[in-house]
Amino acid sequence: MKAIESIPDRKLLLFKSCMVGQEYPGVETATRYVFDRLGIDYCVNDEQSCCTGIGHYTDIFEGLTTAAIAARNFAVARKCGYPNITCLCSTCYAVNKEACELLNTNAEVRDKVNSIFKEKGFDDLVYEKGDMDSRTNFYHAVEILLSKVGQIKEAKKFDFSGVKAASHHACHYYKVKYLDVVGSPENPQLIDTIAEACGASPVRWYEDRTLTCGMGFSQLHLNKNTSLQVTKTKLDSLQRAGVELMLHMCPNCHIQYDRYQPVIEKEFGVKYDMVHMNIAQFVALSMGADPYKVCGFQTHSVPLEGFLEKTGIL
Amino acid sequence: MIPYVNEYDTPNCNTLAETAKKSIRTPESLGLDRCIQCGACTASCPAARFSDYSPRQIVKKVLENDHSVLESKMIWSCFYCYSCNVRCPRNNSPVTIVQVLRQMAINEGIGVEKLAYFLEIGEYLAENGASKVPETGIRNMEKDLGERWIGIKRNLGSTRSEMGLSSRDFRNTNGEVQAILESTGYFEREKWIKIKIEEKRIHGFVKTNYSDKDKKNGEFGFESDRKYTGQEAITV
Repeated sequence: MKAIESIPDRKLLLFKSCMVGQEYPGVETATRYVFDRLGIDYCVNDEQSCCTGIGHYTDIFEGLTTAAIAARNFAVARKCGYPNITCLCSTCYAVNKEACELLNTNAEVRDKVNSIFKEKGFDDLVYEKGDMDSRTNFYHAVEILLSKVGQIKEAKKFDFSGVKAASHHACHYYKVKYLDVVGSPENPQLIDTIAEACGASPVRWYEDRTLTCGMGFSQLHLNKNTSLQVTKTKLDSLQRAGVELMLHMCPNCHIQYDRYQPVIEKEFGVKYDMVHMNIAQFVALSMGADPYKVCGFQTHSVPLEGFLEKTGIL
Repeated sequence: MIPYVNEYDTPNCNTLAETAKKSIRTPESLGLDRCIQCGACTASCPAARFSDYSPRQIVKKVLENDHSVLESKMIWSCFYCYSCNVRCPRNNSPVTIVQVLRQMAINEGIGVEKLAYFLEIGEYLAENGASKVPETGIRNMEKDLGERWIGIKRNLGSTRSEMGLSSRDFRNTNGEVQAILESTGYFEREKWIKIKIEEKRIHGFVKTNYSDKDKKNGEFGFESDRKYTGQEAITV
């Protein structure tokens, strides 16, 4: 288990996420807004590439390619002096953490990756065993927020009391490297704890709480019906629990619930009352951020105007 | 047909179990031999809940060294959600074993047509340093998500600028990502997969009557668990 005291607030490389950048840029700007106000020492580096997650989990990339791309990104992080890779996407988190473990424990893969770098003249990318620590150099942005929950409570400019919020913790955060989760992987409470600090009333447990979002990488595209049935199951459960706000920590889950909620409503003849946002967007709102210029709610599929008016932000 | 060699994901071993254990896709501590067929994986699996998919049966086939598992459509139903990974009491990891099986299938040219949809991800990453939803996916999303999403995507550049970001998620990888993908053999493999897909497409024209409906559950010798149909998801 990851101890909350061990989570760093310095030298964080805020790892850019492809799906955040292309679908919900407000997740990145809201995270930066909150990090700035919490005094967190971080940087964003354009030299960092995609983690390969989308290709890796659609079986396009083999493990060696994923390991080599990860080693390059680790070099980018180390070279700029910000070696604590902090992800906005749970798949980036899992891919990087696993690749680091592989590079540290498998000499054959490490040598092969390094021989590729040397052959191409990329000597500064070479990865030596232990250059990164798979346990202490990899974080999800939500862990950083959790470690500052006291400050978040103090910085509250807006009161969300009475808002019934439910969390969806991303599978690739707590089910891949499950020994390195803050709290129990059977019942993660990171988002709930942060939401409570912002004044919301978290629904700590609901039926099918640990069910995956249903995106399943290739599944949404190849087995759409099953994929949406999985998504619907959790939305049904939240509707029964009277949830009005669903909080996310991964752009893939966010797409599946926010983008496909209207599709499910249409295809299955149902109606849902909940809206969606990332936990960083919620914290930013609580600190007084602009819902559009900072949180980027104009890129969401389920309109948030009703929720923002009801809570008095608009 | 010469199978594609992918020595790190699918090392050449005597048994499926050995390949799964030595693969870099599975954890080093993989408890495959410790599997007691308890079914905790299937019980917690979202695909098993809504289809015939069964991670427990897949693990059983691997332990029995039954290569027919590679031809089963089952292996293409996993969500890669890792619920079985976290729940297995013996530290086994069906989700990562399935990743190895899919790679083995691809090496044999089985199921490659499923990759057609995603193949452009590689070239896009090499060129841009980022990934994106493939074009076919975009077209499906446009159909499903309609005008609102199309409008959001059309305005993305100006929205990002208003938020103080660069108009697109720019990555400067100095050609390094392209070079890495060349050296790991990614492009060679992509080419090989494309040829296999094309071969299958031509072959498919010859026998078009081959229908999924002709196949019942328990295809490829899988025992069927369908006598117990499972619990229906509760709906409102």
